[in-house]
Amino acid sequence: MKKWLLLLLFFAGFSWAIANFQGLSAQGQYDSIIFDFKESLSSAEIERKVESLSTQFQTDLTYNSQFSLSDHVFIAKGDEQLLKAIQNSGIKEFTEFVEPNYTYQALFSPNDPDFDKQWNLKSINMEAAWQASRGRGTTVAVIDTGIAPVADLKRTRLVPGYDFVNDRANATDDHGHGTHVAGTIAQSTNNNFGVAGIAYEAQLMPLKVLGRSGSGTVSDIAESIRFAADNGADVINMSLGGGGESQLMREAIEYAHQKGVVIVAAAGNAARSAVEFPARYPHVIGVSALDSEGQKAPYSNYGAGVDISAPGGSLRGNDRLGGILQNTINPRDGSSIFAAFQGTSMASPHVAGVAALIRSIGVQSPDQVEQVLKQSAVAVKDDAANYFGTGKLDASRAVRLAAQKSFGFNGFMGWLRNGFFLGPRFWFDARAVQWGHKLLMLATAAIIAWLFRLPWNWSMGWGLILGSTGLFILRCFHLVDLPHWPLRVLGSSLPELGGAISGANALNPLTANVLIALGLIVLLLSHPQLKWFALGGSAGITACLAVSALVAPQVVWFGSTAVAQGFLGINALLCLALFYLASKSASRSA
Amino acid sequence: MTIEAEGTITYQSFGLGVWALTANDTTYELFEPPAELQQEGLAIKVTGNIRDDIMTVAMIGPVLEVQNFEILSS
Repeated sequence: MKKWLLLLLFFAGFSWAIANFQGLSAQGQYDSIIFDFKESLSSAEIERKVESLSTQFQTDLTYNSQFSLSDHVFIAKGDEQLLKAIQNSGIKEFTEFVEPNYTYQALFSPNDPDFDKQWNLKSINMEAAWQASRGRGTTVAVIDTGIAPVADLKRTRLVPGYDFVNDRANATDDHGHGTHVAGTIAQSTNNNFGVAGIAYEAQLMPLKVLGRSGSGTVSDIAESIRFAADNGADVINMSLGGGGESQLMREAIEYAHQKGVVIVAAAGNAARSAVEFPARYPHVIGVSALDSEGQKAPYSNYGAGVDISAPGGSLRGNDRLGGILQNTINPRDGSSIFAAFQGTSMASPHVAGVAALIRSIGVQSPDQVEQVLKQSAVAVKDDAANYFGTGKLDASRAVRLAAQKSFGFNGFMGWLRNGFFLGPRFWFDARAVQWGHKLLMLATAAIIAWLFRLPWNWSMGWGLILGSTGLFILRCFHLVDLPHWPLRVLGSSLPELGGAISGANALNPLTANVLIALGLIVLLLSHPQLKWFALGGSAGITACLAVSALVAPQVVWFGSTAVAQGFLGINALLCLALFYLASKSASRSA
Repeated sequence: MTIEAEGTITYQSFGLGVWALTANDTTYELFEPPAELQQEGLAIKVTGNIRDDIMTVAMIGPVLEVQNFEILSS
């Protein structure tokens, strides 16, 4: 019964994930109908038929193009109801087919009235990207001047943040910069008002670290990075920079990165080579700015530390069209305004928004998200001064690449974890296992069994698996609030058991030796079925010890020294000798 | 770090705008400048601190906190 329930839950979760994936195709819509008349009809016959149909259904059948008469193709205005009526009127006699004339709307275009002015979103192919993801299920922390509840953020979801400047929970904006940046990331979109934002189904976390003057201290910023990491942010955007190197900040960034947060920062606006801090720290994606023509914006920093480029706009004189348009506040009276700004401050949130789309699709680790952003960027040839990093941000290519990357096991697990199947109580960490080593052990065990021409059966198979790697995938699973050791033990091979019980990654010499294999053979060699398990187990243990000796000789008490390597190597050889003797004996008795 | 610099006040359009001192080889972002200095084209000589502990939205160069200034011409 329990099995059935779990199976049912599994399929429910899977179907939910599939149903929620919007896919890359648009839904079919039509307001006209196609008629394709039979080739055998003459032009005169067709013209007569067209006339009678036009009268009968009170609609005008017209040529679709200048080639239509010779192709016998006509179209008429009409909806589903009319199509059904025509199809039921006996028209089949003289037509090949009558079908809907679908309008191929390949792209989703939001109904925000000023979307047309957002050249920046079009230049990164946002419309195509929205087909695949709008950032649902992700949280983007905006470390800035705060976020004010302006009209075009009404439908955007905000999670609790913090005001580090005034030490209070309400992190509203008294400057205007943070609200603008937040708008680029997740302005309420398709709401018939104002402008659009990139990951508009993502949640925003407002973290105010910059005061009314637009500046703030390194200590507040470092604290806010830790706050974001501890409170579930998936992405951090920092449209700020300057100052010197700070150990406090470096550690905060390291901490957030280890907690799986993607960190994006502006390159700076001094038009000089090398980016500002914090974009300069490791694990921070540094963003340079492009103008509306796709050139490096004149003010943008470049060179060392630029990972990718994105629209930052450029305001020439009074021409505001070249800027990035979002909803923000007028700092004088706090009123809501739509303003065009320029700066790498504006470029950075484009990348943060697309990072949220990638996370939402199922690519989890920050390094992988960075890789997707960089690989999908449109490369620029002859970029000797590194104006563009790996290239220009392209949201559409990024989500497509993310979908490919997440199609495998990780993406599937991402679906499960994000869905309600096991909810937030379930965690899968692929990094808990060194996959390469495990696969090498399994392959070595299988090769040993094959070289000695042992028969393949279930007992042998289980022996090979439990001797070499165990059910190692189980080590990747965590159930929140429950101890991990049972899964660790179940996910261990026989030689690894000692280490697994004590919680160490290193092998324990008490179990990582030839004695376990000897015990198996002594106990089981006389049993007609289980002797194959004992033999498979010995081959597996040989593989485990040999591969460990060669690639990762970590043994409790011996460390990673030559002694550890020697200990494992000698035991592997003894194990192989034992296996050889036992297999001869087993083959004789078989 | 205390420095002396001579240059012209400019207003730069980043975010809602920022006051800067354009000296010979460096552009400084003025940190909360006094009202007298908020005038484009003013030639000044200043003494001030470079605030390495501060980050800003403008990111146009080192942040200069003015301590003393002398207006050379307007």
